[in-house]
Amino acid sequence: MGYVPLGAVFGFLFVQAGGSGWLAMASSLLVYAGAAQFMMVPMLAAGLPVSAIALATLVLNLRHVFYGLSLLNTLPACRWRRWYCIFALTDETYSVLTALPAQERASRMALISALNQGWWVLGTALGAVLGTQAQIGLAGLDFVLAALFAVLAVEQWRARRDVVPIWIAIAAYAAGSVLMPSQALAIAIALCLLAAALRPARPAPRTGAAHD
Amino acid sequence: MTDTGYVLTVIALMALVTILLRALPFIAGHWLRRHPLVHKLGDSLPLSIMVLLLIDSAAGQARAHDGLPWQEIAAVILVVLLQWRTRQTLLSIAAGTALYVGLRAL
Repeated sequence: MGYVPLGAVFGFLFVQAGGSGWLAMASSLLVYAGAAQFMMVPMLAAGLPVSAIALATLVLNLRHVFYGLSLLNTLPACRWRRWYCIFALTDETYSVLTALPAQERASRMALISALNQGWWVLGTALGAVLGTQAQIGLAGLDFVLAALFAVLAVEQWRARRDVVPIWIAIAAYAAGSVLMPSQALAIAIALCLLAAALRPARPAPRTGAAHD
Repeated sequence: MTDTGYVLTVIALMALVTILLRALPFIAGHWLRRHPLVHKLGDSLPLSIMVLLLIDSAAGQARAHDGLPWQEIAAVILVVLLQWRTRQTLLSIAAGTALYVGLRAL
């Protein structure tokens, strides 16, 4: 259910930015990645090159690789269900699944994934309908994207409790802003990648979630 | 955003990139798991990237108005505190965004 209001905000912003409702629905059905979909709205509105948007999606969704690695052995046996679960492995679904006992995951995964996406698509439709009728634009409603990033950062912190990546990110962004303000984020991401690769390996993680 | 072909191309590419990233561990998981570099990246990178995206999007919001970014800072602090204490994603985002919209309307 939690996905309905967020989906509605996405649909609303998409339509208010000048997009058609059915394209907002297509995004929620085919892309189905909350943060990336919120990110695409201003990028589409600015008419950025397709390659730039694809690259931004790659960076933003890179974390999904590590989600998958920790769920490797708990997928449903049925082929279609398995591929659907892989496609629909969002942050929210991942956090619900990791809260379940490992032996229950495989059987409930497809249903949980489908319900989450159903609510998300329904929300998108509601938001798109509202967005075509409402004329008032609330300044600051697109803050949902920053809020979503803040939530995801808190959850990453909860999983690892490692303060170094935060300092790396702040230092990298500061360096990027000084070197080339228009490309601060791209430079900062490259610096973070380098710093993560050069960091000495940490001792075994404190939580077992990543290896069960 | 009125060019349907452009929007559809973006949607198709974003869908492709996302499914490839989500499928990668299930296709090459055993290979990936053996590499210490993958573990190191997995330990640091997701949190670093989220913090970067948070700073960048909050800075982008701040550039849209004059003065110091105190509205952004206040709203981000509220989201972080709520999420840390309650784990209710929707509550955190809704309260933070409402506070932000309110502060911007002042």
